[in-house]
Amino acid sequence: MLGMFKAMRTTLKHLPMKKITVQYPEQRERLPERSRGLFRVVIDPADGEPRCRACTLCESNCPVQVIRVNYTSKYRLPVPNAARIGEARLAAQSGVDLKDLQPVLDEYYEHGTSLIGMLQDAQDVYGYLPRLAIQEISLQTGISLSQIYGVSTFYNQFRLSPVGEHIIDVCHGTACHVAGAVQITEALEEELGVAEGKTTSDMKFTLSSVACMGACSQAPVMRIGDKTFGGITPDKTRKIIRDLMDEVGGQKG
Amino acid sequence: MSRETMADETTTPPAETDLRNVSVAGRPDGGFTVKVCAGTACVFSGSLAVYDAFVQEVEAAGLGDKVEVSIIGCHGLCSMSPVVVLGDDTLYGHLRPQDVGKVVEEHLKGGSPVERFLYKDETTGERIRDWHDIGFYKAQTRIALRDVGVVDPESIEDYLARGGYEAARMALSEKSPEWIIEHVTDSGIRGRGGAGFPTGVKWKFAAQSKSDVKYLICNADEGDPGAFMDCSILEGDPHAVIEGMVIGSYAIGAHEGYVYVRAEYPLAVKRLTQAVADAEARGFLGKDVFGTGWDFELHLKLGAGAFVCGEETALIASIEGKRGMPRTRPPYPAVSGLWGKPTNINNVETYANVPWIIANGAEAYAAYGIDTCRGTKAFSLAGKVVNGGLAEVPMGSTLRHVIFDVGGGIKDGKQFKAVQLGGPSGGCVPASLLDTPVDYESLAATGAIVGSGGMVVVDEDTCMVDLARFFLDFTQKESCGKCVPCRLGTKRMLEVLDRIIEGDGREGDIELLEELGHYIIEGSLCALGGTAPNPVLTTIKYFRSEYEAHIREKRCPAGKCKALITYTIDPEACTGCTLCAKKCPTQCITGEKKQPHAIDVANCIKCDTCRQVCRFDAVKVRSGIEQTVSGAAETVEDQ
Repeated sequence: MLGMFKAMRTTLKHLPMKKITVQYPEQRERLPERSRGLFRVVIDPADGEPRCRACTLCESNCPVQVIRVNYTSKYRLPVPNAARIGEARLAAQSGVDLKDLQPVLDEYYEHGTSLIGMLQDAQDVYGYLPRLAIQEISLQTGISLSQIYGVSTFYNQFRLSPVGEHIIDVCHGTACHVAGAVQITEALEEELGVAEGKTTSDMKFTLSSVACMGACSQAPVMRIGDKTFGGITPDKTRKIIRDLMDEVGGQKG
Repeated sequence: MSRETMADETTTPPAETDLRNVSVAGRPDGGFTVKVCAGTACVFSGSLAVYDAFVQEVEAAGLGDKVEVSIIGCHGLCSMSPVVVLGDDTLYGHLRPQDVGKVVEEHLKGGSPVERFLYKDETTGERIRDWHDIGFYKAQTRIALRDVGVVDPESIEDYLARGGYEAARMALSEKSPEWIIEHVTDSGIRGRGGAGFPTGVKWKFAAQSKSDVKYLICNADEGDPGAFMDCSILEGDPHAVIEGMVIGSYAIGAHEGYVYVRAEYPLAVKRLTQAVADAEARGFLGKDVFGTGWDFELHLKLGAGAFVCGEETALIASIEGKRGMPRTRPPYPAVSGLWGKPTNINNVETYANVPWIIANGAEAYAAYGIDTCRGTKAFSLAGKVVNGGLAEVPMGSTLRHVIFDVGGGIKDGKQFKAVQLGGPSGGCVPASLLDTPVDYESLAATGAIVGSGGMVVVDEDTCMVDLARFFLDFTQKESCGKCVPCRLGTKRMLEVLDRIIEGDGREGDIELLEELGHYIIEGSLCALGGTAPNPVLTTIKYFRSEYEAHIREKRCPAGKCKALITYTIDPEACTGCTLCAKKCPTQCITGEKKQPHAIDVANCIKCDTCRQVCRFDAVKVRSGIEQTVSGAAETVEDQ
């Protein structure tokens, strides 16, 4: 009995209050600023074509995989002619010869190499991934530039700028870190006059670091080209690099 | 030339009928063998030059027809590298090419071992000749590593002579896929890549998925810094992995397989490439495997350097040529994996165990280990232990057993401080928990994980805050950026740690780290983010006082964090040899010859060179910051 009265009291109390339910779709609530809503491809009013260039970045970035991009080559981003002319001039200056890229593309046509494999092969040819080569791959395979850029910046292996003749890899694995790999890199930075990840201006040396080479019991370790050095100290490192600089005639800075 | 068409061309010579009859080429009967270890660590310390020296010296001594020099994969005892095994038992370490002549003269010709290159027991000082008697090897049980360091990894004949490919041939010609899956399930083996999912169950799911095409993948993207077991197995015994994959392909019904291997392991890639080619030439891979009508093609895929690709869904995306970003599960790869087809992914070590299980029976494997975890696990033991290298012990052995019985204790008579397990996803276990058994559940209870099996031992000289920062810096860089908690959370944690190390730590920073870590673990999409805070959280849990010393007292107890230490010279110990002054890159060490030197603290960059070059142990590191010129100069002037 008492319970019924309590319930009635609540009902009566709320009767004159403003209602919180909305009669959708007759009434429309203003959505909060960050409401998600639905996806829609924007059509450019100027030419009636979709603005989406099928770069597929939304597909790969969506945390819950609700986007699938199916496209035809019609909507590929074309490389403007003016840009191509500019690139040709750039190519002449940088000494990138696109003929060297042909075997890589042939391999793609024959065996359907994956994008990563193709970029690895292209890097083997040039030592890095020149912008021109990336554009050529995009043009010939129909893989969008943004997708190639996405892949080439995701993986540590790919380099977008030229590297020196001698690549100095200092291992920064756990064992090497504990054994003083940081001091090794610092000693090298000082001797070469460049920061980690950079190349000397005479294009002789590139100082880089790797996660782990698997030679943990020799820590700290370093690799210069094919030569490997284990159990080094900052002092020994300075000597090794000075000797190498004398040998190949490299300059500091 | 492509990197991924290794197994495309299939030339199928008739399969060998009895593999045991294959002669071991080039090894004269009754001859003497010299096996030079060519694992990564040994190659780093010059073992290939030692190999060349042996070939030359043996030839020069006229023993060419009696002694055969060959290479082997990682023998295990990497701290002795380069390692050379003479005959069946004598192990020499730390050999240089110029020492080879002496070994050939005294051992091969004279018949007596050269004492000074033998293993020296740290406690007794005794030289041990037979490597089977060394504690490091005696304390191990080797299953996955059974042939690593025994066979020549570049010779399929060697592997065959050890009964290789017998298990696969037997399984494919006499048994059903169900029999194999049941057998693997009964053995109780769990995924050796770290997550510890029962392998038999995984295979069963993949086998039950209905599809025209299925894939089998071997995850050899061992990106954890400080772990090298998978690398050593691929370098030392690639055929065991291939054989395991052949058996797996038959069990789940896959005709195509991939080995996704890190490009940073060039030696493993080279040997695996050759092993695949050799296996194909003999008809163990490709069309009509062992003449049973089973087809299995194996391709190699080189990773391009992304830690997150060790996660199975990211690895699949990477094989497809995309950015290696993980996706939500379910659907699990067993239902929808590579190119949307059912896919089975296992770790290198898991596959290496399979042939042994098939050959010796599930019971034999299940006899090792404890109830929840059967069998053995390989660990890479590194850091400040006496015997660093590859170690395989039964599941459930204690950490103490691994570090002190196998590893021989701490180097240079220092104190054990902690062991870091499982790399950037794992944690640090302190001395008080040394009796924790090594199995998935017990280690998870401490906050660490078994992980892929990296074990880095640290002593009193290692700063735990710095170590935690090192791992977080790694995971922060390797975060794929897909989900917010991992991408931004690890960055914020790193900033907090950076300021603690720089001496700008604030009250409440420890709590902030704990809170952030909790949210990152809760909110991340994949295991990378879900485990990234572990190194920080476990070090806070067990070494909170070190964090507090950094924040409140502005000092680094271990003497590592540059902003919180001062270098000084002990005037009593300094002999004035001027070596440190000569080596100092900033010329901040002054002093007369034969007089105690002093360091000008204002100009000292704390590069540690002076301490390393000092022969008299006179350069000391003081925990805390001092502004004045410290050391001898003051004392001398005062006098």
